[in-house]
Amino acid sequence: MKGLTFTLAFKPQFGLDLSPLTPDRLQGLNQGQIKRIKLDYGKGKVTVGEAFTLTGFDCENIEIRRSVDKLMRIGHEMSHGTITIKGAVGDYAGQGMKGGSIFINGNVGSWLGCNMRNGHITVKGNVGDYPGGAMPGDIEGMTDGFICIYGDAGNCVGDRMRRGMIIVDGSAGDYCGSRMAAGTIIVLDKAGEHVGFNMKRGTIVLAKKPRHIAATFRSCGNLKMQFLRLLFKQLADMGKQFAVFKRIDPEVHRYAGDLAYKGKGEILILQAIKTGNKAA
Amino acid sequence: MKINGVTIDNTFAEAFPMKATRLIITAMTLKWAYRAANSIRGFASSVIACGIEADIERELSPKETPDGRPGISVMMFAMSKKDLDKQVPTRVGQSVMTTATTACYAGIHTGEKISLGKSLRYFGDGYQISKVINDRRYWRIPVMHGEFICEETTGVAPAVGGGNFLVLAKTSRHGLAACEKAVEAIQKVPDVITAFPGGVVGSGSKVGSKYNFINASTNEAYCPTLKGQVKSALGEEVGSVLEIVIDGLSEEAINEAMRVGIQEVCKFGSAKGIYRVSAGNYGGNLGPYHFHLRKLMK
Repeated sequence: MKGLTFTLAFKPQFGLDLSPLTPDRLQGLNQGQIKRIKLDYGKGKVTVGEAFTLTGFDCENIEIRRSVDKLMRIGHEMSHGTITIKGAVGDYAGQGMKGGSIFINGNVGSWLGCNMRNGHITVKGNVGDYPGGAMPGDIEGMTDGFICIYGDAGNCVGDRMRRGMIIVDGSAGDYCGSRMAAGTIIVLDKAGEHVGFNMKRGTIVLAKKPRHIAATFRSCGNLKMQFLRLLFKQLADMGKQFAVFKRIDPEVHRYAGDLAYKGKGEILILQAIKTGNKAA
Repeated sequence: MKINGVTIDNTFAEAFPMKATRLIITAMTLKWAYRAANSIRGFASSVIACGIEADIERELSPKETPDGRPGISVMMFAMSKKDLDKQVPTRVGQSVMTTATTACYAGIHTGEKISLGKSLRYFGDGYQISKVINDRRYWRIPVMHGEFICEETTGVAPAVGGGNFLVLAKTSRHGLAACEKAVEAIQKVPDVITAFPGGVVGSGSKVGSKYNFINASTNEAYCPTLKGQVKSALGEEVGSVLEIVIDGLSEEAINEAMRVGIQEVCKFGSAKGIYRVSAGNYGGNLGPYHFHLRKLMK
């Protein structure tokens, strides 16, 4: 069955909330019913029929074309199915996601996958701040799932993250892994300042040593980490896109911290990546 | 039925339901993976007194293991999930974790679970770290050689234990030569193990005893030294009986293992001192699985 395709029919000036357009919420609806769904648009409303041209039927495979950065909350709390987006995406994509997959071929705003519970998000572009993070006031960010960013990420990657994995193929901004409770973040290029700020537990793997590591992180020396051998093999087995992990040696410089907050987290700085194309 | 002069008795092997799990042990080199595997399968020949039956299933190439290092697949069988749960974590803790550079992973991921790292993690004394990768939880336990990685649980599968056949030979030397070849062939069959030392049982038992404090005793009908004393199952020419016991994950796996094993034994023929192949059963009352020798060898 042909996937349900939404092609944006106008140039939005304000944020357009696409949270009703998930496989969960569209299940059992025909095209007519879908076209009548009202979406929040700025301070007003707009129907799906006015905003998009619809083709296809299969709401398990949703495609959004001509997407722009005003499209917000795509895949909000979805639990199954696939959403593919061609173009840029605004804030809160994959917020509270419980399962399924989101593929974004473009840049993404902030709060990507914030509070996500499970599922996969792949971004072939750059991402704003707080990917996998927690909404203000929330105790936990993402509690499971997988976010793979092929471009650069903004500040506070995985803020308050509890479980799951974030891979950034490019560089990450400041406060990467801030307030992490657990989980794994891998950055295959530079990371900004204050890496692991206030982290309690969790693992941050960096390909390059950051300019500054806080005094509350203590060096454990250069080590061959058996765990990384397992992690990299499992990632490499996930597909060709992760072939880079076959070339990474598990030898790292380990820093334990943040000693101001339990200190059971770790920053692992890779010592050797064999030359070749990166993950993308 | 005769194959190459070897009589195949018109009888059947009687097997019973068990519970099994599989562990994948990896190490820096295959040699050290073997050290751990040999240790964990030590004193695990029979559930009668060991609580568990275990053996190496096969070697694993780095491509086949979760961490890309050489490994060994070990299978463990017990009468119940509870018995496995009691034995497996203890053995992994004492035999695998103590072996330098090893890691231990689940080899079965379906069905009920028993703990591995779930109980061993406490060895980390608070410094242990949990990691979930691809929906599987691993424990990183800091140890003196670095880190001992252990999967949280391993799956338990229904299994069949006690598939067997007896090799009746002229002497122990003749019998052992044939049995060694049979065990080599059986080891190539997937999903089966031969838990006894070298895969061969030198002292097969019967259920019960004249003494009420033990529940298994020597199978006098097959003891060559008692031929004149008891109602013996042996002819005048038989001077030694060896048994091969097979545990497997399915009836089909044991069927195949018995077939290839008996085939190898028969290759020796009566000319090389192998006279008969028989099997141990208890009149069909012990277990629901019956492996009829003649049917197998058709």
